[in-house]
Amino acid sequence: MGRAIVITSGKGGVGKTTTTANLGAALAQLGHTVVLIDADIGLRNLDVVMGLENRIVYHVVDAIKGKCTVQKALIKDRRMENLWLLPASQTDEKDSVTPEDMRSLVFELKASYDFVLIDCPAGIEQGFKNAIAGADEAIVVATPEVSSIRDADRVVGLLAAADVPARLIVNRISASLVKRGDMLSQADVIEILALDMLGAVPLDDQIIATTNKGVPAVLEGKSAAAKELIMIAKRLAGLEEPERASVGFFTRIGRALGLSATPA
Amino acid sequence: MWNNIKSLFTGKSSRDVAKGRLHLVLAHDRTGLEGGRLQEMRAEIAAVLAKYVTIDPEAIEIQIETHSRETQLLVSSSIAPRNA
Repeated sequence: MGRAIVITSGKGGVGKTTTTANLGAALAQLGHTVVLIDADIGLRNLDVVMGLENRIVYHVVDAIKGKCTVQKALIKDRRMENLWLLPASQTDEKDSVTPEDMRSLVFELKASYDFVLIDCPAGIEQGFKNAIAGADEAIVVATPEVSSIRDADRVVGLLAAADVPARLIVNRISASLVKRGDMLSQADVIEILALDMLGAVPLDDQIIATTNKGVPAVLEGKSAAAKELIMIAKRLAGLEEPERASVGFFTRIGRALGLSATPA
Repeated sequence: MWNNIKSLFTGKSSRDVAKGRLHLVLAHDRTGLEGGRLQEMRAEIAAVLAKYVTIDPEAIEIQIETHSRETQLLVSSSIAPRNA
């Protein structure tokens, strides 16, 4: 049985879709079979980020409504052995799919694939509820900004209420801005959200260039962001030690002294 | 290091300001208490305290703080001496 992981954030534009595409490609490169589901019904984008937009015949709503089999709606990525995309519908409404629909779709896919990555729409309404319905675990993507972290915190609360364990990716972090005192560090973000860390992806021009071309950056391999995304994929697959130094010095002292309820 | 020294003289870095703002915003978000409700609660707490001790209802301070995912409500008030 495979694992279903939803990639979510609350706020739009923080890099959910790019993260989904790259983690999917990286996991496939590691030899796992991977299906990416675009759960953003009505505003599909994972197809263009993956460069597969010209090959869509059927989509997730067709598969759910039984207009085709799930297998038939999957688009095989020809650049890799093990990667498939289940695109969103561009014309349906978000409420044309229910959480139960998603749960059974994801369950069916988990039987045949190692990883099912679900690209969640922005927001916390119906589309979000659908996207998390079938997920075993969640990745919360946040950029080091007040608005993004605030929305991520809301999502963390909703995921906890739905019993979906979550881990954090801090996206678009700039070491020089952090050093200058003009950006929250990954440790700051972790301290505020009190979440386990999967990794911190650096701000990187190469992501824009590869996204323009419809190629996941990890396939071109050499950029700083691509390297971290590959590392995160390895951590997800259990091949690498989890990120350390995730909790601040004073928080750790606080925990050692029993000042905080969260275990160290 | 230089930033730490600099911020001693020029005030907080924007990173510290962001952290402070987030702690405050999240504390309120996590309780679901909007500003108006918080003031209502403050007035009710003041009324309850006034039944037992002499206080200045205007001087009651109410704060919501958050550490990790624990949220605390802090109410502080000075109490006037018996014969005042």
